[in-house]
Amino acid sequence: MKVITAIAATTIGEAIRRRVLLVILLIGVLLLSIAPGLQALSARQERTVLKSFIFGTMQLTAVMIAVILTVYILPNEIERRTIYTILCKPVRRWQLLVGKYLGAIGALGLMIALMTGLSILLYWKFQEGAPASDLVGIAQVALMYFVQTCLLAAVAISLSTFLPPLVNIFVSLGLYLVGTLFTSVFESISGQAGTHPLVKGFASLVGSVLPNFSRFNVQNLEINTQQIGNTGLYYMNSAVYGIVYVVGVLIVGMLIFENREV
Amino acid sequence: MGTVSVVDNLNLQVEEGEIFGFLGPNGAGKTTTIKMLLNVIVPTSGEARILGQDVDDISVHRLLSYLPEKPYYYEHMTGMEILKFYASLFGIKDQALCQSLLEKVNLAGDSHKTINQYSKGMQQRIGLAQSLLNDPKLLFLDEPTGGLDPIAHIEIRDLILQFREEGKTVFISSHELSDVERICDRVAIINKGKVEKQGSLDTLLAGGRIEITADGVSAELSKQLESATAIHSFKDGRLILDIPDDQDVNTVLDSLRGAKASVQSVIPRRKRLEDLFIETVRTANYARDNKEVKS
Repeated sequence: MKVITAIAATTIGEAIRRRVLLVILLIGVLLLSIAPGLQALSARQERTVLKSFIFGTMQLTAVMIAVILTVYILPNEIERRTIYTILCKPVRRWQLLVGKYLGAIGALGLMIALMTGLSILLYWKFQEGAPASDLVGIAQVALMYFVQTCLLAAVAISLSTFLPPLVNIFVSLGLYLVGTLFTSVFESISGQAGTHPLVKGFASLVGSVLPNFSRFNVQNLEINTQQIGNTGLYYMNSAVYGIVYVVGVLIVGMLIFENREV
Repeated sequence: MGTVSVVDNLNLQVEEGEIFGFLGPNGAGKTTTIKMLLNVIVPTSGEARILGQDVDDISVHRLLSYLPEKPYYYEHMTGMEILKFYASLFGIKDQALCQSLLEKVNLAGDSHKTINQYSKGMQQRIGLAQSLLNDPKLLFLDEPTGGLDPIAHIEIRDLILQFREEGKTVFISSHELSDVERICDRVAIINKGKVEKQGSLDTLLAGGRIEITADGVSAELSKQLESATAIHSFKDGRLILDIPDDQDVNTVLDSLRGAKASVQSVIPRRKRLEDLFIETVRTANYARDNKEVKS
């Protein structure tokens, strides 16, 4: 565990200094900062507009940071030969992968926390009289984005064990889009009566293998102040789903990385 | 797509407490061999053992160390932080050890500087310091003096000699033949994945060379005198031949005089590792090319 912690801590230190990530974060922070100004564009729907913009900006920024951060982590170690100085120590490859992943999500968590703090501050300042539940809601949505991007980071780092970074960016973002937009389509096809069994089977397979990123998109509930049966339970289930999926994806990544020539 | 055999039937024996030079032209398989010994690459067949243990036994990594060619260290970290990070990979939390290693590689005064403020020589020295954290019995150094200025060069060389005095075994892969000749006890020369020569430098460098310089040599004669063991240079009628002293020098001189060439000098000298290296690689390539032509 000490080995993993040491690798993770170093990875965080390196990640928060990467200029490309800081630029993405800066753009996200700047967009969040101008969010209150957008309220003027839609009278009587200020809160809805403000929340939508905040959530949209946070999600997009977090996704970009997660992908750009993780696709380069292992290839950079190999290209710079740092990996050899680590693997010649009593460090197993899976420990390196897990350490790198934990470091990446640690840095990602810090960046999302910064955006969440700023969003809450701006919302509190520009929405006088807003209930405390709105502020808690922002934090809850941000937490779900964190779990979602942890899953995306696990997919990207596992793919990075055999894909070059540029290809990986497209594949990871593609999987994210499909997993966000089409999982419900696959679910409905697999459950539809009268559909050919082969199509049903294929839709069911794709639906179950593909990570369901849309599960973590709870912003609409928060924007429209809707209630679902048991919000706490839903969040808990989604978090468990995310963690189980992350573990599964990382195990596949470890198996590939174990046999890869570096 | 075919497969390429980078290393083939390679047998190396490195004695404890010696500095062993692992030589070969680019692409000979040196780094691949080291990576196999470090279990970074898995060989398709055969076995490798280090210090009596299989290379895939990770516990052997507590006894060895590796300094790759032109390594990169996390630039945001200071020299001390780098050492602490690598120490933590062994479960070592000994700041005094890190400090003493920084002193050993003469970086104690720069321990607070970040790696991006280090020169190449300093980066190489911090690399050596990190490779000593576990007090290894065996050190693999890949091009340890490559790209360094003469002063840094000497500093690294002296450190390597110090390792031998401390009883460590050092395995060096290098193209810096003059360094290897000065510090190594034994060497192996590999070419295209095969060991062509292996032994102590005293034995391998026994015998001398003779350098013959002649002007007014025709291109035909130059071609005629070209052989696997002669190091040959020919430009504008000037021929420089460097041949082993057991070769018939008079025959070469007779050929030159017979063709009305002017022999400028005949200088006998000690055999250098460079001569052995070129001779070995050329002979191996010559034999291989001839075999291919015949088959």
